[in-house]
Amino acid sequence: MFFNSIAFAIFLPIVFFLYWFVFNKTKSTQNALLIIASYYFYSCWDWRFLFLLVFSTFLDYYTGIQIEKGKSEKSRKFWFWLSIIVNLGFLGIFKYYNFFASSFSDLLNSAGIKASPILLNVILPVGISFYTFHGLSYVIDIYYKRIKAEYNFVDYSLFVSYFPLLVAGPIERATHLLPQVKVKREFNFETAKEGVYQIIWGLVKKVVIADTCATYANAIFDHYTSMNSFSLIMGAIYFAFQIYGDFSGYSDIALGVSKLFGLDLLRNFNYPYFSRDIAEFWRRWHISLSSWFRDYLYIPLGGSKGGLWMKIRNTFIIFVVSGFWHGANWTYVVWGFINAVYFLPLLLSNSNRNNMDAIVLKWNFDSAKVIMSILYTFLLTCIAWVFFRASTITDAFSYLKRIITDRHFGSQYLENERYNYELLLLIGVFVLVEWNNRNKVEPLSGKKSLLKLSLAIAAILAFGTYSDYKEFIYFQF
Amino acid sequence: MKRFLIFTGKIILITILISVVLDGIYTAIFMRSKDRGKIETVFNSKAENYDVVILGSSRANNHFIPQMFQDKGLKTFNYGMSAAHLFEASLMLKLMVERKWKIKNVIVEADLNLAIGHRSKPISSKFLPYIHNSTVIRDHFQDEESFNEMYYLPFYRYIKYDSKIGFREAFFTLIHKRTNALENLGFYPLQKNKNGNMKNNIVKLNPLPHNKSYEEIKSICKANNINLIAVMTPMCENVKGMDYFDKVKKAYPEIHNYENAVTDDKYFSSCGHMSDEGAKIFTARILKDFFNK
Repeated sequence: MFFNSIAFAIFLPIVFFLYWFVFNKTKSTQNALLIIASYYFYSCWDWRFLFLLVFSTFLDYYTGIQIEKGKSEKSRKFWFWLSIIVNLGFLGIFKYYNFFASSFSDLLNSAGIKASPILLNVILPVGISFYTFHGLSYVIDIYYKRIKAEYNFVDYSLFVSYFPLLVAGPIERATHLLPQVKVKREFNFETAKEGVYQIIWGLVKKVVIADTCATYANAIFDHYTSMNSFSLIMGAIYFAFQIYGDFSGYSDIALGVSKLFGLDLLRNFNYPYFSRDIAEFWRRWHISLSSWFRDYLYIPLGGSKGGLWMKIRNTFIIFVVSGFWHGANWTYVVWGFINAVYFLPLLLSNSNRNNMDAIVLKWNFDSAKVIMSILYTFLLTCIAWVFFRASTITDAFSYLKRIITDRHFGSQYLENERYNYELLLLIGVFVLVEWNNRNKVEPLSGKKSLLKLSLAIAAILAFGTYSDYKEFIYFQF
Repeated sequence: MKRFLIFTGKIILITILISVVLDGIYTAIFMRSKDRGKIETVFNSKAENYDVVILGSSRANNHFIPQMFQDKGLKTFNYGMSAAHLFEASLMLKLMVERKWKIKNVIVEADLNLAIGHRSKPISSKFLPYIHNSTVIRDHFQDEESFNEMYYLPFYRYIKYDSKIGFREAFFTLIHKRTNALENLGFYPLQKNKNGNMKNNIVKLNPLPHNKSYEEIKSICKANNINLIAVMTPMCENVKGMDYFDKVKKAYPEIHNYENAVTDDKYFSSCGHMSDEGAKIFTARILKDFFNK
């Protein structure tokens, strides 16, 4: 059940009605309903993996309590590592086993040793990377005594399985969500209204921007050997907007839906393409994952405390691991590595925290510099996205090489029966709307909201792409 | 909560209103379309006289050269459409009759498409803008999947088939941007393609014993005194399951088998589609066999 499906459009009002009108007596009834709804939502993909989700929930719930109760450090450690190993074990088996087996076999074959890998015939359970990280952060926080273990299984289950964030995040923290589910929610009109605005804007991003860009990006990437330089450049830009619209659109809908139930989720995107350097980009892109890696990997590795070499090493580790988190393919690893390389000059010059302030433009030279730095950062991200989108690393290099060597910048008719330049106007308008509203969560609220809402609905109906339907990209991670 | 329900109600109302307005605008635009495609042209036409009308899929569109008919004094147009099934060919003929066209002969390409009983969604979607303006179209789609949504939900059909009748197509129709669909009297010539796929496997293909759309075409022609010439058109040399054409002949004896009229691969652009040169040979043969006065 996708957020942009008819099934979800029926599911959501039913759950909303039951939540506020039938199960609204206590927080327990509210939570129970949300868990039932979440499990139903998840089982719409594949009910068999529901057992995995329930098992993972129970494991972290139980080990969390045992860690807290543990009288000796040895016992605490035992339960802690049990949770970590089982959680990562599941992730490893379902997500990475086949990749490692075939990579290892390729390595042996290239060394002249004949090997054929034993591969598992399993599909990747939807959202496993997300709910595993929920559970991990919870157990780690208990182990380091940052939070108390949750003894109410229903409340804890909701923290892990809450349907708006279950399959593609944001990756929540126990410190943020658990306190909210422990109290009865009261309906608040303004919050719910904000939620609706966010849902509608998320839909604009998904069906108008992401899915439309996808038809062009796919046509270009899938036939890149016959594309000219201009098409290839456009392909990278279209993919940049596809993945942004897709994932931030999903996050907006998730946050908006959650607001309808009175629960606030972590913000995941903050207009990342208006970043002035790559460090700022990573403070604005998939914020919940970046901060997860910062708190649970970068800092435990020593963070920036151990001198320059340590900082560089840790930065490369988190970017490469982050790339690998996205998928079992070397292209993601290289994508992560490239971002670490982009980060390096900022680290060496100690300027990775330079652009913490809001962007203000005026008619002066400094503003021109800001615009240039935004464009430069966008260019860097587009180059990295080529690796993210390409099927292989060789394809990615060939794609980039062809941009430079082809040197034809004319219009080109693509496989999707469209010209390569046709989406430029749509993207331009989208960027302008986002730029003018960069200090808000979404652009629809505020003055003339009814008019803006009507325009957004008209855009969803008239400019959306439906017949060439695309799943949310981040579901595969 | 009451305020929220009113707010949600407003959004639903706005959505319905916008859908109705957009539906009206798009439909009005397509109602004025004449120079973009064959379906639009037929729908918006008035009574016309034709000696020969050609119907079918790309294997009609790329294989019959109307100019060669015209040179013989036969007013002809090729209404074959790439990716169309007999469902669309039948509907085209119904529309022509509804518009009181006087047609002496209909040539319908009936071969591989006899194995398909359903509509071609991308092609049939081009009829949908007119669903409220033509009883023929409405009735033709009556038993189709999602008919109720397409008919009763405003703008639904434009959303469902946005790549064919969505904003882009409506915009180009509005500005009268021409396509090449109507050039060469509807014939689309193909060039010899060095990389064309010259193999085909139709072993699993079987003609439906009673293809509803084909039977419709037959009865429309009979009811309107139109001479129906149903033909199977050529395939390349390397086809597995060539007995398909015998099966067609057995099920529909009135269909003329021209599968062997052109066989040499040099006359093909791909296995199921002849090049311009092949089309010339094939059309000459059809003219000789059916229109040799």
